[in-house]
Amino acid sequence: MISLESSIIRFKDVSKKYSQDNIVFSGIDLEIEKGEFVFLTGPSGIGKSTMLRILFCAERPTSGEIWVDGVALSSLSNSQVPYLRRKIGVIFQDFKLLSNHTVFDNVALSLEVIGLGKKQAEKRVMQVLEGVGLTGKASRYPLQLSGGEQQRVAIARAVVNRPPIILADEPTGNLDLQRTEEAMMLMEELNARGATIIFATHDERLFEDTHRRVLRLLNGKIEIQ
Amino acid sequence: MILPTFYHRAFYDLRQDLCAQLITTMVVSLSILIFAFFTLLYFNLQHFVERFGTELGLTIFLTEDTPKDRILSLYQELTELPGVEKVTYISSKEAFGRLENFLKDEKEVLEGVDPEFLPPSFEIQINRAVFQLERIKQLAGEIDKWPEVSKVQFGQEWIDRLYVFSSLARIIVAIAGLLLLFTAAFVVTNTIKLTVYARQEELEIMRLVGATNIFIQGPFLVEAFLQGLLGSSLALGAVFACYRFLQGLEAKSELLRGVNICFIPWHYTVVIIASSVLLCVLGSALAMRRFLRL
Ligand SMILES: Nc1ncnc2c1ncn2[C@@H]1O[C@H](COP(=O)(O)OP(=O)(O)OP(=O)(O)O)[C@@H](O)[C@H]1O
Ligand SMILES: [Mg+2]
Repeated sequence: MISLESSIIRFKDVSKKYSQDNIVFSGIDLEIEKGEFVFLTGPSGIGKSTMLRILFCAERPTSGEIWVDGVALSSLSNSQVPYLRRKIGVIFQDFKLLSNHTVFDNVALSLEVIGLGKKQAEKRVMQVLEGVGLTGKASRYPLQLSGGEQQRVAIARAVVNRPPIILADEPTGNLDLQRTEEAMMLMEELNARGATIIFATHDERLFEDTHRRVLRLLNGKIEIQ
Repeated sequence: MILPTFYHRAFYDLRQDLCAQLITTMVVSLSILIFAFFTLLYFNLQHFVERFGTELGLTIFLTEDTPKDRILSLYQELTELPGVEKVTYISSKEAFGRLENFLKDEKEVLEGVDPEFLPPSFEIQINRAVFQLERIKQLAGEIDKWPEVSKVQFGQEWIDRLYVFSSLARIIVAIAGLLLLFTAAFVVTNTIKLTVYARQEELEIMRLVGATNIFIQGPFLVEAFLQGLLGSSLALGAVFACYRFLQGLEAKSELLRGVNICFIPWHYTVVIIASSVLLCVLGSALAMRRFLRL
């Protein structure tokens, strides 16, 4: 049980089924260390997104228990969930940007909800937008951007409040080779600064010569490589 | 500290889809307008009945053997009663004269009749501002107990009939108003629901990036508050304008003179505005609840 102290995420016998014949996974046991960078992979529709969604309480597991940063998720009430989410930056597979707000406002939203001052927020947002190469497009609306650009806005919003945990759901799915490299480097950098990262992707190339752990979902079970 | 942020964001959102907000405000306004008209009608009906009753005044018949010197002191006592505006003495002779006038061509029937056969009386006019019908009944009862008084008349039958009619009318107006109120509540909450549903995605995304429910709801509730306030104020403003217009007509037209139209009492207008605000805020909060669970 020493692992409890250094593992920031822990799954114990976790199952998720939507209905009797729609079982996504069952009996998942998993520990992720603080500061680790793991890949989560598996074919489409296998349950990668579902696993991440359970982590930030967008979904509840059917059974089992999950601890995030020492907190058992089943013990969280609805009103406590926002505080958990502030510790977790999520890059959504479908971006989830507000279409009637500018790129700047979309990214600033993460800081606004934690009540950061306007001046400070502005500085940080511009910094992060520079990091993803969108400085010139801060005042555009999401629908005026390409798919890859929208994805980078989603990345910027997830990391702008410097969360200790980052869940990246196919964050490079719409990026070209160069942008993918850049996004990977950004993730590496955040990880070097101490963030724990779960990187869900079905793109094998991204981790083919990595020394990092790769979690492979298959037939409702998880294999660790 | 957090309220200015809500206002800021509420106004930001207002600019974002001004059209939807305007429509909601219009719906609130129209719903309240219809209800307020019925309220105006209700109060005017009530006001009219009360005033009509008081205008009839009182007639006090004295016993025939009332000594002449008592009359002056009775006159004095009546004048000093609270709420009495004017007292007129009508002697037996005067009453006889009136009767003759009334009969006109047929006054021969009075031939040979003693001109003193009618009892002397007082006619009392009540100060309108002070009196209500209940008070008049009470006053009549008091005066009736005086030894020199044989009978007090105040158009009891007339008033009773008017009362029955008016309470019937008032019940109808009240029921119609109540139904309208429900309709208004239904329409308003549903309109607000639609505006909330239109922004469902926004609510969910905010929730996903770690916004607390208060943070998310705040601007919406401020918005709903403003819509309720503005909508009902506009409606009452329109009803007030209409009231002033009718007042103008009343001053000019012979037919309407004396109707003495009144406005909805101010504390009722406050109640209407407060209910409208409450309705909007509650409707908005309830509509949002389902999107703020996960
Ligand atoms: N709300 C839901 N109701 C019912 N079934 C669902 C629901 N959400 C997801 N599923 C099912 O759960 C399974 C896993 O979905 P999930 O989105 O986690 O897959 P994924 O591994 O992320 O796939 P992809 O690589 O395509 O993103 C799918 O078979 C899907 O049909
Ligand atoms: Mg997925």
